[in-house]
Amino acid sequence: MLVLKNSVIDLHHSEKKTLVGFFSLYITLCIVILIFISFVYYKFQKDLMLSQKRIDLQNYSNEFIIQLKQLHINFDKNRVYPRDSRFKTAIYDSDKQLIFSTLKSPSVQLDNIVYTSNKTIHFIKEPESYYLGARYVILEIEDNQTWLDDIEQEIMIFTSIGLVFMLFIGYWLLQLFIKPMRDAMHLLDRFIKDTTHELNTPISAIVANIEMIDTTNLDEKLARKIRRIDIGAKTVSNIYQDLTYLTLNHQIMSQNEHLDVGKILFQRVEYFSTLANVKHIEFKMNIQDDVILFIDIKKLSKLIDNLISNAIKYNKINGTIDIILKDKYISIHDSGKGIKKEQLALLYDRYSRFDKTVGGFGIGLNIVSMICKEYHLEIDISSEVNIGTKVEVKWK
Amino acid sequence: MEINLFLKSLLKVVVSLTIFFVFTSQVQGSVYTQNCIACHKDIPVSIDKYFYRYLLKYSSEKKVKHAIKHYLQNPSQEKSVMADAFINRFGIKNKSKLNDEQLENAINEYWETFKIFGKLK
Repeated sequence: MLVLKNSVIDLHHSEKKTLVGFFSLYITLCIVILIFISFVYYKFQKDLMLSQKRIDLQNYSNEFIIQLKQLHINFDKNRVYPRDSRFKTAIYDSDKQLIFSTLKSPSVQLDNIVYTSNKTIHFIKEPESYYLGARYVILEIEDNQTWLDDIEQEIMIFTSIGLVFMLFIGYWLLQLFIKPMRDAMHLLDRFIKDTTHELNTPISAIVANIEMIDTTNLDEKLARKIRRIDIGAKTVSNIYQDLTYLTLNHQIMSQNEHLDVGKILFQRVEYFSTLANVKHIEFKMNIQDDVILFIDIKKLSKLIDNLISNAIKYNKINGTIDIILKDKYISIHDSGKGIKKEQLALLYDRYSRFDKTVGGFGIGLNIVSMICKEYHLEIDISSEVNIGTKVEVKWK
Repeated sequence: MEINLFLKSLLKVVVSLTIFFVFTSQVQGSVYTQNCIACHKDIPVSIDKYFYRYLLKYSSEKKVKHAIKHYLQNPSQEKSVMADAFINRFGIKNKSKLNDEQLENAINEYWETFKIFGKLK
């Protein structure tokens, strides 16, 4: 939808579905109302046209009935049914049996007074005396249907204008509806932006200083504590990077270059090794050399980071992570608890988390999906509960 | 011998009577001819004029037939389709002595003779 496209905020699938549902219902309702109004207008115009024609038809019928009377009086001498070039006629008796007809349209409604029938106009007159037994005299004139063309044109114009107007109202209503939703998400985004901004300096200081500590000269107890601080700092740093990416980075132009994906993969595995060691998770790397991808280095790192981070986070103790890199193909397969089928479709939604026992904001895969979309990478997630989750990224 | 002669004479009488009745019925014609035309031919207004009067007032076959039958069974000035001047001059006819079936046959023939259906050009 146009209204959502330009928004910085991504609406959830269900919210989009609700809005699309509302808009469809609104448009359907508008169309039904417009059809109803058009129909009423058509009926009104038709009645107007018929009432105008009725005056002529009334005069014709009077003339015809005089001729019919003459024929009735002189029936023993003359049996030629009266005819007129201006109109056609038929006579029916009181049991609605046809006595004689010169009508073009045989479809007759004797209970009506004036109506249209197969491009003709019929007028029913009941004479005071039933000449030749004629209780009903039907007069027929040609209907050139110019009135219908005019009405069609008018209805088309006014319906189109009405529909456009209704669409504008609908658009305005939609804006009104999504405003609280957008406001709430803006508030959350602004909060994250402000928070992350304030986190930048202390996190950088912690990470930089830990890296500078030489753990080899420390006793085992202290070194373990330092490693824990390192893991904690890296986790916070990772979250920080995700949040900054979401709030800032994706609006910045990418600096794409030809990157060796294998090299980056090794770097990122190395980065996460301390984190993986805590859960005794083993990385099994099957990396093909010289797999090149034209991408921004920060974005590729972010993509890999999020996938590895998830594979660690949702893995079991003593689990494994298989990383395969082939030509135009990366696969990261963990041995974790897996994801239920019905939850797979909602994976890329921001702030959606299926396992609240582990930390996170539920933004990782949203970022992955955004990066994949930007670089036309095809991502496929397959999962089996209690066996593991496999994420495959392919490109052409 | 006498019995045979009697039977022969009886047969002759029966045959003669049959021939007589067949002949007279042919000469006399239908109920309509015998009972309607017979009288109406003496009136200066021809019988078809009554039909068109009925048609003018009752329109359909069913209603016309019903009205004629109703009138013939119990004629009155109110039921008559003719103008007052006509009634004043010729009066009201006598009640018909024909039974229902005969009346219906006569009326059917009357309708078939003068009906409009199929006669207009």
